Formats: sequence, structure tokens, C-alpha cells
Amino acid sequence: VKDVIIKPDAPSTLLLDKHADYIAAYGSRKDDYEYTLSEYLRMSGIYWGLTVMDLMGQLPRMNRQEIIDFIKACQHECGGISASIGHDPHLLYTLSAVQILSLYDSVDAIDVDKVVEYVKGLQQEDGSFAGDKWGEIDTRFSFCAVATLALLGKMDKINVDKAVQFVLSCMNFDGGFGCRPGSESHAGQIYCCTGFLTLTGQLHQVNADLLGWWLCERQLSSGGLNGRPEKLPDVCYSWWVLASLKIIGRIHWIDKAKLRTFILACQDEETGGFADRPGDMVDPFHTLFGVAGLSLLGDEQIKPVNPVLCMPEDVLQRIGLQVDLLS
Amino acid sequence: MKLYSLSILFKGPTKANLLKAAYDLSSFSFFQRSSVQEFMTFTSALIVERTTQGSRASVKEQEYLCHVYVRNDNLGAVVIADTEYPQRVCFTLLDKVLEEFSRQVDSIDWPSGNPETINYKALDIHLSKYQNPREADAMTKVQAELDETKIILHNTMESLLERGEKLDDLVSKSEHLGNQSKAFYKTARKQN
Amino acid sequence: EVDVLVQRVVKDITNAFKRNPNIDEIGVIPCPEARYNRSPIVLVENKLGVESWCVKFLLPYVHNKLLLYRQRKHWLDREALVDITCTLLLLNPDFTTAWNVRKELLQCGVLNPEKDLYLGKLALTKFPKSPETWIHRRWVLQQILRQFSAVGHGTKQQQQLHQGEAEPADAERSQQLSDHLAGTLRQEMKVCSDAASRYPSNYNAWSHRIWVLQHMAKGNIKVLHDELSSMRLWVSMHVSDHSGFHYRQFLLSELITGVSQSPSCTAATTAATSSHHQQSSTVPIGSPHHHSHVQANGEPQGAEVAGEEERQLSFTTVLLLFHEEMELCSDLIQSFPGHETLWSHRRHVFYLWHSM
Ligand SMILES: CC(C)=CCC/C(C)=C/CC/C(C)=C/CC/C(C)=C/COP(=O)(O)OP(=O)(O)O
Repeated sequence: VKDVIIKPDAPSTLLLDKHADYIAAYGSRKDDYEYTLSEYLRMSGIYWGLTVMDLMGQLPRMNRQEIIDFIKACQHECGGISASIGHDPHLLYTLSAVQILSLYDSVDAIDVDKVVEYVKGLQQEDGSFAGDKWGEIDTRFSFCAVATLALLGKMDKINVDKAVQFVLSCMNFDGGFGCRPGSESHAGQIYCCTGFLTLTGQLHQVNADLLGWWLCERQLSSGGLNGRPEKLPDVCYSWWVLASLKIIGRIHWIDKAKLRTFILACQDEETGGFADRPGDMVDPFHTLFGVAGLSLLGDEQIKPVNPVLCMPEDVLQRIGLQVDLLS
Repeated sequence: MKLYSLSILFKGPTKANLLKAAYDLSSFSFFQRSSVQEFMTFTSALIVERTTQGSRASVKEQEYLCHVYVRNDNLGAVVIADTEYPQRVCFTLLDKVLEEFSRQVDSIDWPSGNPETINYKALDIHLSKYQNPREADAMTKVQAELDETKIILHNTMESLLERGEKLDDLVSKSEHLGNQSKAFYKTARKQN
Repeated sequence: EVDVLVQRVVKDITNAFKRNPNIDEIGVIPCPEARYNRSPIVLVENKLGVESWCVKFLLPYVHNKLLLYRQRKHWLDREALVDITCTLLLLNPDFTTAWNVRKELLQCGVLNPEKDLYLGKLALTKFPKSPETWIHRRWVLQQILRQFSAVGHGTKQQQQLHQGEAEPADAERSQQLSDHLAGTLRQEMKVCSDAASRYPSNYNAWSHRIWVLQHMAKGNIKVLHDELSSMRLWVSMHVSDHSGFHYRQFLLSELITGVSQSPSCTAATTAATSSHHQQSSTVPIGSPHHHSHVQANGEPQGAEVAGEEERQLSFTTVLLLFHEEMELCSDLIQSFPGHETLWSHRRHVFYLWHSM
């Protein structure tokens, strides 16, 4: 069986201060080669960093004004937002930008109407969404579209029925979802699709028992979760799987204590931050999903996180977005 | 499923001595092959050194499994496979190869031999034939035979080491590994 | 000084491609320090290697050049754009905007689609999952298909005339086009299998393969069959590859739908099922006239089979498909115990059977 072994000396307590230091320092490494390598996803990178800081109650340590100015500079004529300056706009980074601005309670810093136009313009005849003007279709983008609009309170601007039809056409016999009709089920895509169905009020369309079964089968003996059968566990799947289970009201179907042990073992005691697996290199992406996963497991040192939007619940309360899950 | 290397070694008092090896590294990227090969040689020798006479073991290292059998006469063999490849078939292969080798090569040559001097040619053929375990051997037969000797399972290479010993040190001291391979080892660690 | 060095390296890469048009793999050579007076670009046996020490100069340089161009702060001519995006994407293939620049170059005719499919193929030898590389591929393939259907519009009428008085030149042209498309399809399948072998359960490679079938071989029973038979050995040697098995499930369900909806395909299917090693050299694609192609493959044409008989025949074909699949699955489960993937495959086959 493909799995990892957790060593007896692996970290077993939550090192919050170290993680906050790690994230706070990450942005100051702007000349690093690795930082350049990941510039194509910078906007999402900032969202991961800020969200995990907020969940740990450390958001004030980040440079709010600098970030808001950066986002402004990333909005394009068409309304879409790019990962960084000089890059092309895309739904992925449009959602990240709107999430960041929601954390900062300042969506008005950008031209909201244009964002809405941009999202609306990417909906296709069959209800699906393209990620950008070049036309790639993926259920991830359906999620990005409705999540962006939900945060902006503009869900009525698209054809929701058709959008739902398309996402449902990606449902598989195992209860899961893939990126397009006929594609394999994948925990990340399942997160997007269950999240999408929550935001569009169509969660009753999932077969919660069947899907819940598939999802809880992702837990391995190490306690970690994988994203598909016979793959290694990865901390990011403690988010994609766990959030999906939470959404469909089946989070108690996995062994929470063992998952917690696995997530904690993925911390780096020296540098701070979480890696995909124990002993690997840490990054902001896995750091967010490690901490957010622990929040879903009920860790009280962390703020409660919303399983659909992966943002602190208090932020969603402030903007008045209510998300109804299955029970 | 894949077999990457098959090697025969003699377990001397302190060191294992490589007698013959075959590799199939076609699935690795071209510029890594030479380093990978050196690492497989290094690992095979290390495992034979740390395995007691007359025993079988499987050692897991990341996505690889190294299966070893050291006979009572100190002749040993190691096959490195992926985790998908059936363990039992690996041990059949080891038995078979060791048996054939000891028939063809005089035991006087074992302690001092090396791949250039040893005349045993079948290793490559075995490695390639066993790539597909179902064609190589009647599996059903295999299921029944081997169970008498217990197979020890090590979950990491580290568990073969003694207290205070470090894999990093062994790597940097090793004569099996060139500078490029040592550099490769440093960059390959800790990344996914 | 770094500028000069990097410009030389970018040129070296471009020249390597000119010198050897058959480069089939790229890689980084672990090498922490520069060797004096020697280019860090190495070409051996059709493999292109970059010494690791120079990557940290090279990448930021081409990266910044492209972004300055994108912000209209710095001008680059077309040739420079082609070279820079090539180097950049071979080192960092998820840099979406660099692919987009190439899309624009393609649209204005500076690049041709084949060139970009080739670049993507090389990037995948080092980064077999790179989502953006797969996405760009689908865009390029769509351009090719669009060209094809623009020309094919005229071709359709000719095919109807095909029996008698079609102009030979047009018939030839349409034959060339469909040969070209068949070649592209074969190449895509190869790119997918290579990537699938480099990274287990490679979601992007397998879902791309499904996309290719859906868009380039719609309902083509012969292609589906060839895929099913060539996948047989592959899955037997990758018994934990859930994505590979999912692809097989996709093929089965398409075949079942295809066979039961279009009984006239049955003859070909039955033939292919009973001798699933047979390979045919012509692969008809996406043609609404694939029946006539099937018949051109040597199946009896215009045989007067009653409707009832046809239904019987297609039922038998489907039955045979299921039977063979269950046998394969049982066999693998017995030979390789303990694989979740095999059991999930079994469950899926039963599901397909049940929903017939
Ligand atoms: C608001 C949040 C948290 C996210 C935004 C919405 C998005 C973009 C979610 C992405 C979800 C995700 C991880 C989708 C899966 C993508 C995919 C098909 C990956 C393919 O997996 P492999 O590359 O084969 O990697 P694994 O080996 O990990 O399966």
C-alpha cells in the first residue's frame, strides 16, 4: 500500500508562531529564484498566505496597502485580474483577488462591475465556464466563477441553471466529479463541484452517502488523505477531502485524531510551514491547507474556517454571505 | 510495475563486493540515468552489508522497494523494483539468479571478483524477462513456495543504519558515487 | 555580464534545435558550478540538457524580458519572442502568459501549430503533469481541427459525390487532410502514454487523452477498439494506476454506447473484439461517414441484415466485451492482490453492465 511512515520524532504539536514567521518572511524573498518560478500564480500565493495568517489571527503583520495596490495594478481592461503585473487575466486569480479584498473588507478598491462582466463573459453556451479568453473548460472554473460572484453578491448575473447542469454532467458513477464530462473523479475537483453546488443551492443533487464513502476511503493508515485511490497522502488533500466531507455533512466518517497526527507531522520544526508530506520542503500552499484542515478538525487555536470558500467564517459573516451545508 | 536493477554481490567481512549488475533505467530521465545507476549500486552494496547471512529482507525507500537475499555462503543478490511489482516474484528471481550464478562461477572468484572479471552473462536477460512478472513465471507456483523463510521489512533505509550513523555521511563518503551524483542527491532530497 | 551570458545560452538552445530537429527529451544536468569556457547547453543522443548552475540566471532573465514586453516597456521582435518563450517554457511550463504569447504568434502565422505541439511535448518530458502545457495543447489542437473543418466543409459534398464524379484533386486533398489528422491523433496518444509512464496516475495526461477522443475521434468505433486493445497490456503492467483504468472504463462505456446505438458498426466491432491484436494502418477520424470507412476496411458492405438480427449481433458484441473485461479483471486481481484500483475497476464494469 502506498503510504508514508510517520517517524516517532515527527512534530506532534502545532507550531503556530513558526508558521506565522514563515509566512511573514516569505514575501520578503522577492529576489529568490523560487519566488520568480511561482510568479505565474502570485495572486493565489498571496491569498494562501493572507488567509492562513488571518486564520492564525496574524493578518495585521502583512502589508495591507501594498497588497491592495498590487491587486489594483493587476486588474485589466476586460475586468479580469491576473496573477501578477504583466501576466494575463484569469478566473483563478480573479477569485483569489476578490478573496483577498474580502479579507481586507475592501472589494471597492477594484472595478467590481467589470469583474462581474468578465466572469459573465466567460460562461459558455452549455453553462460551463472558460478559465480565460482562450477557452479551456474545467469545473474548477465553474467554482471560481460562482465563488467570485457569491463574494460580490452578484450571483444573479449568470445563467445559474445552465451552470448547474454542466457541473452535474461531470458527476461520475462513484458519486465524485471530474474536470469535464467523462473525466476521472478527483478530490480537488470534488471540492470545487460540491462547493459550487452549495453556492448555487443545489447540494441536494449529490449522492452524499456514495460520495462520502469515496471520500472517506481516501484516508490511509498513516492517517493522511490522498486525492485518488493508490496515491500518496498529501496535506492539501486534508483540505480538499475534508472540506468536501464537511460540505456534505459526513466529516465524522474519517478518523480525525489520526488525520491530525498526520497533518502535524508535516510541519517543519526549523523553518515553520507545512509540506505535502513529512520531511519534504514547505510552501505557503500546503501551510494554508494544513492549518485550514486543522481548523475543520476543530482545533481551537485557529479561527473557524468556511469549508466552501476556505476563508475565516468571521469574514463571511461580515460580508453577509451565508453558506448552507448538508447535515 | 518495473524492475530497475538486479545485482549480485559477495558479502565480505566489512564490505560487499559487486560481482555483476544489470540495469533498466529507461524510465528515468536521460541526464539522471548515470547518477541513478550509481545510487542503485551504492544502495545494493549497503543493503547486502547490513543484511545477515541466510536472510531475506525488503527495504522501502520512497517509491522504491529493494529486495535482498544473502545466502549462507555469503553470496547475495539485490533487485530494486517499484512498489507495484510483486514481492514474491522478486524473491523467486533472486533465488534463481543466485543458484545459476553459483553454478557458473567458481566460488574462489567471489571475494575478489568484479563486473569486468566475472563471466556470467544472463543477468540482463533475466532482468528484461522479469519486467512482466506474469510472463516470467507461473505466479501460482510462486505463491506457494517461498513462505518458509521470513522476509524482514524495513520501512526506510535509515532503519538499516546503526545508532548515530547518517545516510548523508555514508553518501558523501561513498566511493560508488561521483561528484555529480552527490550533487544530485542533495537536490533530490526534501523535494516532492 | 550576466546579460551576455544569458543571451548566448538562449541562442545556444535555439541553435541546438536547428542543428538537431529530432530532440526528444529535455533535462537539467546536476552541476553546481560552471566549467570555464564551455556552453551549459549539452546535446547528446537527441537529448537536450541544461547545466543546473545556469538555470538560476537564465530563468529570471527570460522571465523579466517577457514581462517587460508584455507591459509594453520593452520591445521584442517576433524571432526573439519565439526564442524567449521557448527557453522560458522549457524551464517553467506553467507560466500561462508565455503560452498565451505563443497563441498570439500562432494566430498571426509566425508559428505553426506543429511547432507548438512539439515544444509542449518536450516540456512534458521534464514536467509530465504541467497543467498549462496540456491546456495549451488542447487549444492548439482545436486550431488544427478548425482548419480541418473549414476545408472539410467543401469536402463533405465531395464525399457524397465520392462514388462517381468527384474531382480527383479534391479527393486527394481531403485524403491528405484526414491522413494528417490521423497522424496528429496518433501523436497525441503517444504523448499521453509517455507522460503517463513518467508520472503514475497522471490525471492531466489521461483526461487529455479522453478529450482527444471526444474531439478528434467522436464515436469512431475503430479508434475506440484500437485504444482498448493497446491499453490491455498497459493496465496489466500498471495495476495501481487508477487513471489508466478510468480511461479503460471510459473506452468501454463509449464502445457500449456506440455499438448499441449504431448496429451497422457491429460487424467491425465483432471482428475487432475477436482478434484484438489486429492493427489497421488507416485511422479514420471524426468523419460523419465512418461507416463507409469501416466498410472500406474490408467488412461486407451493404449486407442485407434484418433489424432484429442486427440487434442480436450488437448484444452479442457487448456481451463479449464484458466477458473479456471481467476475465482480465479477475486475472489481475488474482495475480496482484491488494490493489484498490483493480477492485474499483471491477465495480465500474459491473456498474456499466447494470446500466445497460
Ligand atoms: C478557494 C480555493 C481553496 C481554491 C480555488 C479553487 C481551485 C482552483 C481548486 C483547485 C482544486 C484542485 C486541487 C483540483 C485538482 C486539479 C487536478 C486535476 C490535479 C491533478 O492531479 P495530479 O497533477 O495528477 O496530482 P496528484 O498527484 O496530486 O493527484
